[in-house]
Amino acid sequence: MDVHAAARLAAGIAMGFATIGPGIGIGLLTSGATQAIARQPEASGEVRTVFIIGLALAEALALYAFVVAIILMFVVA
Amino acid sequence: MLLEAGTQGSKIVEAMAELNNKAVIHLPKVGPFDFSITNTVLYMWLSAVIVFVLFFVAAKKMRKSPEGLQTTAEILLNFATGHLTGQIGEKGKKYYYLILTLFSFIIVTNLIGLVPKPTQLLGTTPTANINVTFGLAIVVFAVTQYQGFKRHGFRKYVGSWLAPPGVPKAMKPALNGIFFIVHFMGEFFKPLSLAVRLFGNIVAGHLIILVMLGLILQYGVALIVPAGAFVIIMLLFEVFVAFIQAYIFSILSVVYIESAIYAGH
Repeated sequence: MDVHAAARLAAGIAMGFATIGPGIGIGLLTSGATQAIARQPEASGEVRTVFIIGLALAEALALYAFVVAIILMFVVA
Repeated sequence: MLLEAGTQGSKIVEAMAELNNKAVIHLPKVGPFDFSITNTVLYMWLSAVIVFVLFFVAAKKMRKSPEGLQTTAEILLNFATGHLTGQIGEKGKKYYYLILTLFSFIIVTNLIGLVPKPTQLLGTTPTANINVTFGLAIVVFAVTQYQGFKRHGFRKYVGSWLAPPGVPKAMKPALNGIFFIVHFMGEFFKPLSLAVRLFGNIVAGHLIILVMLGLILQYGVALIVPAGAFVIIMLLFEVFVAFIQAYIFSILSVVYIESAIYAGH
């Protein structure tokens, strides 16, 4: 396998594996936030703020891999 | 690599070249630095002007019962001073306007790329360029560290990065070292993640739209309906992402500045 093919394959694999963790994380986060709002609707504003911050932090992990994939695609390959 | 694949006939990769910067006004190089004005810079200036004009015109003639632009400006101001900076407290009051500016600037820069433009105008999204987002993140980083060092002094602020009080005496030096390394790296990862998050979200959306439109170029007109429908849905989602990313960027800036103001608590 030459370098270009390997780099493109690596970009795909990196992106695919990197979305597993944040996917689970965001799922747990959403389930927790829905339960919290269902139990205490008056606290929904605060729950939403914390939810969005957590969402951003979990999502960032996938985006690091996205940047790596972009580098692999457009710089290495 | 872009050009090489372009000549091989991949129309999708060819279309991706649209994401690159294009120099509008060429200026001579100074050493290794190229000061040419690119379309990214132009659209950044344009959005800065839009933000300025919005608040300037709204503040020029203020009414008791707001109308038109004043309503928009007041919604943004209330959002920034009430919701976003709610947790920063009295001590961070002077950063209300930094956060307000960041929030409105990022919203306008995100949305400016979603407005369809003729190709002669070299349309682009400034926040799809990592240099822009890093610039914004460096401002937040500078404000955070300035607050930390000024408010607590060097000893106390760096001391807040060490092990918390109450750990066993024998383990203290080792724990101090580990805590210091983790916190020191954390301070640099905060702006890095801010920049990469904004950049990644905007670029990912653009790439998906580009790839879907590139499918039409590659495989013919038959794909116009499914790809077009997907692109319309994706564009609507992009509007949502533009707002949510501006919100996340500013609220995380608030959290970081707040953590420096109340360091060691």
